[in-house]
Amino acid sequence: MGADSGSGAAPGPAVSWRKVLWERQPFPDNYVDRRFLEELRRNEGLRQYRYWAVVQEAGLVAQQISCVALFLTLWLYMEQGLLSPSTLLWTGLLCALLGYGLYQALAPRGDSDNHHRTRWSDLQSASIFLSFTFGFSPVLRTLTESVCTDTVYAMTALMLLAHLVAFPYAHPSPPGSLSLNAALFASVCLASRLPGDLHTSGGLDSSSSPSSLHTFTMLCWALLVFALWPCLLQRLRDCAPWVFGCVCVLVGVCGVGGLGSLWPGGAVLLAALLGTVTLLCPLLLIRLQSDKDNIQGPWDEAEIREDLTHFLH
Amino acid sequence: MVLKIFFPQCCNKADSGLLVGRWIPGQNSAVVLAVIHYPFIPGQVKQYIHQVECSGVDLTVLGSWSMPKEGQEGMESFLRDLSTIFPQGQWLQLSREMGKIGFRCHVLTRDPSKSPFASQVAPIVFGTVCQSEPLFFLDKYDDGPVKMTHWQSEGREGSIIVELMKQASTPVCLLTTWILTLWTSLCSSRILNVRPMRFISSKLSTCVQLSYRTEHLQTVCSPTRATAHNHFMRKANIFVSFFVDVSLGLLLVSWMYRENRIGKLADTLVPAADYVAKELEELLQWLMGAPAGLKMNRALDQVLGRFFLYHIHLWISYIHLMSPFVEMILWYVGLSACLGLTFALSLLSDITALLTFHIYCFYVYGARLYCMTVYGLSSLWRLFRGKKWNVLRQRVDSCSYDLDQLFIGTLLFTILLFLLPTTALYYLVFTLLRLVVVMFQGVLHLSVDFINSFPLFAMGLRLFRSYRLAEGVKFRVLCEEPGTPLHLMMDINPLKVSSVVQTYRTPTYSCYPKDSWLALCKKLFLGELIYPWKHKTTKID
Repeated sequence: MGADSGSGAAPGPAVSWRKVLWERQPFPDNYVDRRFLEELRRNEGLRQYRYWAVVQEAGLVAQQISCVALFLTLWLYMEQGLLSPSTLLWTGLLCALLGYGLYQALAPRGDSDNHHRTRWSDLQSASIFLSFTFGFSPVLRTLTESVCTDTVYAMTALMLLAHLVAFPYAHPSPPGSLSLNAALFASVCLASRLPGDLHTSGGLDSSSSPSSLHTFTMLCWALLVFALWPCLLQRLRDCAPWVFGCVCVLVGVCGVGGLGSLWPGGAVLLAALLGTVTLLCPLLLIRLQSDKDNIQGPWDEAEIREDLTHFLH
Repeated sequence: MVLKIFFPQCCNKADSGLLVGRWIPGQNSAVVLAVIHYPFIPGQVKQYIHQVECSGVDLTVLGSWSMPKEGQEGMESFLRDLSTIFPQGQWLQLSREMGKIGFRCHVLTRDPSKSPFASQVAPIVFGTVCQSEPLFFLDKYDDGPVKMTHWQSEGREGSIIVELMKQASTPVCLLTTWILTLWTSLCSSRILNVRPMRFISSKLSTCVQLSYRTEHLQTVCSPTRATAHNHFMRKANIFVSFFVDVSLGLLLVSWMYRENRIGKLADTLVPAADYVAKELEELLQWLMGAPAGLKMNRALDQVLGRFFLYHIHLWISYIHLMSPFVEMILWYVGLSACLGLTFALSLLSDITALLTFHIYCFYVYGARLYCMTVYGLSSLWRLFRGKKWNVLRQRVDSCSYDLDQLFIGTLLFTILLFLLPTTALYYLVFTLLRLVVVMFQGVLHLSVDFINSFPLFAMGLRLFRSYRLAEGVKFRVLCEEPGTPLHLMMDINPLKVSSVVQTYRTPTYSCYPKDSWLALCKKLFLGELIYPWKHKTTKID
């Protein structure tokens, strides 16, 4: 059915055709006139991306991948006994204090009353974390004793993937439930697979369970990396965007370097992945915009845009 | 317009005579109740009919019946003349020849009147027979002015036992009612109605059975006569089943107390309890290892296993403490089986419940632990995904949690998830044990219920006097020759056996499975406590 060609049986346009169905018209039901598809709109919401802006946003994704790699590196170090848990624990606490100081320094110049209150509630939260983690460590360390190691590794990988996929990249500060929980689950699985101290377990015992200190350290670092670091990152992004870019690059370099010290092949892979995510994917995005072909028109589903302002008065 | 005549079978072979009965108004039918034989004096017949009518029976002379034997020809004209002596609107003349089945019927009408055709004749027929009871007092063996044949002329139906019981029933009923009022007032006194006592007595099936029997006896021994058929049948059923129950119980008691069988039973009771405890201990040791190759969390396993082992140790010490008194207790308690077989069965069920109390305790612990784990897991799984249960709207909503809530929630979720196999296994094992005990108790309760509610009297009546429980009538064609009237045989259709049971069941607090299979499985899966046999709080009818 072309625009002007009604079927052969269409009478001459003495009567003009109206786009209504409730009226009997001397045209066949599927007749259309030359205003056909007038209301078609192509590629309405098309955005013009700029390459470097997209690269900057993609940096956050790369940053998160490197965080995960850093965490895995720490675990590998503890597993191979190259780092003692007490060292790591004190380092972690120091980093936490530094990060907290930076967080408070970068706070927007608001009310100082609020600061006192949030400091007290922060102290409360910190004490809850530490006490619960310390209390549950003996339970957690023998939790996956009877589960096969391969299953544990598989679960960890799955959970870390879920964490990366579900991470709220747009606004990392209130951490997304699923991503944080998946990361913590993965860290508990990993923590239960750490080898124990040589003097806590008997010499003949081949499958030594990790000591509580290992588990406690692992969980503290998981909390730092997955829960507290995104809050600081959000603050940085709000206050000093160029510092944010540098920090992302720094984290990426540290991740690759840390992994490289133990497993060079992995470092190469990680570097390749980071490069793809940061540089190649934005290019693809921009290149493929020209292939976009969306059509919108009055046939779309109605979207209700509620205007609730009249409730305010 | 079809004329229907209902003729009793016994009068088929009766000598010739006068038909007496009743016309059913509006139905164009007649019911013959009796045949008055020759010789009779018409005046005495009229007097007799008037006498019977005064005692409430609706009776008229319907016509004549002739079955001529040898040497009795010439009756026809005599019978026709009778119609002038007894003036009626319609005069029936039924006759039958020896050796033939078919009747011949001749109707003389004085005033023809139309009446509508109707179909509900059978209940009226039976109603008429019922009301005419005074007519049946005279039978073949009486000397009187008139000689009649009717359906009870062979002798009135009855038995000596029934008559004796009817005479003795009133004083016995009064005595029993007085005893029962004393007993019920004692039971509802303040001392025995304290909360713990009431709770215990509602759980022990012996006490429950005692209360049902008291109620049944109260129904049976009430001094008022039963008026409705249902009421009478219920009383009779309760009485007969009570009688059978008590006799079976006495039989059991006499068997058990001979040859010191009670002593032998008591001697095997404590070793049996010991054996059960030993088996349970072995089961727990097996669970504490690696049962069936399953991987359990060692720490939790050890804790639970040791906890249950200590329980069993306590229980066995308690049983050993009680062992000197067991025989005496059993001896006295077994005497209560004199009250009926149902009491013996309820006692057995209660003794089983008491002896397997530790299995019940284990089941409750295991179920509660498992239930908490499952509910905790489901709630924390919602937290894991960032959702929350909205109690007001009964749906799952998204929720933004605080950091510490998320942290602790995830830790707990991980712990519960890895401890789930251990708790699930303990729950499974103890649930299976509990189900075995429950099945056994259920069988006992079902048989007690069966004895309580089965209508023995109604069943006996159906088997031996099936015409007393009727569902309807059925007709069989006897003679269908042209020229003679259609001769049908009307038989009572007795009630089907299944409907006898259904209609006359004594209502009891029946013991039935509370949930369907699906609901039961769901409860088992979630770890809710199951009590599969539920006694209804209201009677079912």
